[in-house]
Amino acid sequence: MSVVAEVSPDGKKLRISVKGRFDFGKHQEFRNSYERVDPEPNSYELDLKETTYLDSSALGMLLLLRDHAGGDDSDIRVVNPNSDVRKILAISNFDKLFDIT
Amino acid sequence: MQAQEPLTILIAEDSAADRLLLSTIVRRQGHEVLAAANGAEAVELFRQQQPQLVLMDAMMPVMDGFEAARQIKLLAGETLVPIIFLTSLSESEALVRCLEAGGDDFLAKPYNQIILAAKIKAMDRLRRLQDTVLQQRDLIAKHHDYLLNEQRVAKAVFDKVAHSGCLSAPNIRYLQSPYALFNGDLLLAAYTPAGDMHVLLGDFTGHGLPAAVGAMPLAEVFYGMTAKGYGLAETLREMNAKLKRILPVDMFCCATLLCLSSLRRSVEVWNGGMPDGYLHRLATGERVPLKARHLPLGVLSAQAFDDSTEVHAMAVDDRVFLLSDGVIDTSDANDQLFGVERLQQVFAANLEPDRLFEDIEQALRDFRGEARDDVSMVEVSLLAPAQLKPTAPVYSDSGQSCPLDWSVSFEFRGATLKRFNPLPYLLQLLLEVHGLRGQSGALYSVLAELYSNALEHGVLGLDSSLKRDAAGFARYYEQRNTRLEALQDGYVRVHLQVTPQEQGGCLVIRVEDSGKGFDVARVMERPLENVRLSGRGVSLVRQLGRNASWSDEGRSARVEFFWEVQA
Amino acid sequence: MTDPHVDRDVLDTLRDVMEENYPDLLDTFLTDSESRLQELQATADAEKLSEVAHSLKGSASNMGAVRLAELCQALESDARHKSPAEIVKLVAEISLEFDGVRPVYESERQHTHTH
Repeated sequence: MSVVAEVSPDGKKLRISVKGRFDFGKHQEFRNSYERVDPEPNSYELDLKETTYLDSSALGMLLLLRDHAGGDDSDIRVVNPNSDVRKILAISNFDKLFDIT
Repeated sequence: MQAQEPLTILIAEDSAADRLLLSTIVRRQGHEVLAAANGAEAVELFRQQQPQLVLMDAMMPVMDGFEAARQIKLLAGETLVPIIFLTSLSESEALVRCLEAGGDDFLAKPYNQIILAAKIKAMDRLRRLQDTVLQQRDLIAKHHDYLLNEQRVAKAVFDKVAHSGCLSAPNIRYLQSPYALFNGDLLLAAYTPAGDMHVLLGDFTGHGLPAAVGAMPLAEVFYGMTAKGYGLAETLREMNAKLKRILPVDMFCCATLLCLSSLRRSVEVWNGGMPDGYLHRLATGERVPLKARHLPLGVLSAQAFDDSTEVHAMAVDDRVFLLSDGVIDTSDANDQLFGVERLQQVFAANLEPDRLFEDIEQALRDFRGEARDDVSMVEVSLLAPAQLKPTAPVYSDSGQSCPLDWSVSFEFRGATLKRFNPLPYLLQLLLEVHGLRGQSGALYSVLAELYSNALEHGVLGLDSSLKRDAAGFARYYEQRNTRLEALQDGYVRVHLQVTPQEQGGCLVIRVEDSGKGFDVARVMERPLENVRLSGRGVSLVRQLGRNASWSDEGRSARVEFFWEVQA
Repeated sequence: MTDPHVDRDVLDTLRDVMEENYPDLLDTFLTDSESRLQELQATADAEKLSEVAHSLKGSASNMGAVRLAELCQALESDARHKSPAEIVKLVAEISLEFDGVRPVYESERQHTHTH
């Protein structure tokens, strides 16, 4: 499984990690990882430590997650992107939408 | 296990007793039997009746089993007709011959009914599998043809929407694949009424029809608003709102928008998510990167959208170069990306600016080993003002009735000045007067000049001499943004008066502002000259309109336009 | 004790499979085999001997004539290496074996007729 989701013990935070290329092929897996989590978490952490590459459909998937998590009220942290992924996030200015560390 | 469905089975066996025995066994298992005594008979029977499975003796007179098998396989073509060789040949060489001739399995003598039934079942499963594969392949091919046709239609519709553009203008050079639309790449260009040029290079997420479909509403907004005289900011707001409304959440459009003005010698830039563009200053050789400072279009709600632009000074020989990410993302056999550094190297090595595209294409070819067909590049320069030739707008009214004797006054105050650009509206209003339509370019330029003077120099108190050099240019526009954001009081008044005259009519425009004014006498002393980088555009107004005058210590400007009715 | 010449179980199966066509099968086998024997006796060419022996072996094994099938296998594999005298000897053995089992098949034919 290249997309792994883990709920924190108190059920309030969902941690999703994506391994390998984050592209259109991951679409279904990514959505499945957060869509049916019940009760809905308050915050999300997307760990990109093992993500080698991010394309525009992955950016679209981030927008879907943000929309699911409450849009402007969402709390999503994107952590550990490598330098290539970080560059892609910077050019697309997604650091204006997501908290990227 | 499923019951075996009845098949038509061809049995080729020269021994009469064995043929009789095998036929009976096979018939008892529910199948229909065709019997042949030699290879030639077998091939003929196959040709006539097309059985689904063949039991073939290897050694037969006239034509042996190997040759018969070869011919039957040829006749069968794509369809799988399993051939089970009947043989008591034990040498492996003989068995290899069976396989090479197209045999799929063997049955040894003495015939064992149970084994025979099992082999028939297994072979039939393979046969049906092959059948399914061929059916699905044909279905896929048919759907693929439908899709290609749909794309052709979509592209034809899009081309009609995009026809009002000016990509063929002499100051634009571009490279785009014919399939760009279906890679989500978009390139639009159009003149404003004042003769400025708006250019958009965009990249929708996704491929195929979804990417192409978003392009149409975007193009309509771009062309419609540009033709009416709206600036980049308003056009951007409208495009973003439209895409946000109609596209699904995960779709968006990265875009770089330019407004090139020969009159003001400037280029205004907005880049949302696209790779860096470059402003190449020929005089210094400097390449100023035009970085993405915004999110792509269609992501943010209208309230959160940031329409702020950067303005750079631009000389007549300078060029702006934009490219889609197809260039940077080109990868070689080892999955290494071409990247920004290599592009910079091409820039540095480029000796003839006119050959920049060729140099980049060559570098890509050398890097990747072959050409890519999804790279979009565009290079724009300023037209010398003499070359300006905006196309005449088309009107839908019959020309019978138009307002000839009227006046109207507007006062735009603090909050409105911040957010509203009244120019397109004022122009549309004036163009109701048919006699003025032939001068719409000049009208818009003069109105725009008077309004921006009133706002920037009057209400905001900006010093036009700041725009003397490139660095000052940037500072000027920064200051403009800051002061506009902070604006509370102040006003710009616009008065329009249209009166009929003997053979036509007269339009009087007056623009007043709440600012400090300027030394009119000194400015009027300067000779009429071509547009300079700084200055209040007084020259422009005096050249394009008639009887231009300033009063109230420079706070009020007045200019006239005349027209004559054609017989 | 199992008959080394004719496998009775095979005959039972054949009878069961062929039903009313059992006599036809027996007739065909006997006629076929006779003409093959004549071919064996008439030729000295090793290749031809091999082919005919192979054919006869096939039907013999289908019909349960075990020993006959074995002898045919021997002739099929060794026809090239044997001397003419050895071949004549082997063919005679085959002929003899066939004469030995023929009554069994003829009796089978009778047997079915009366049923």
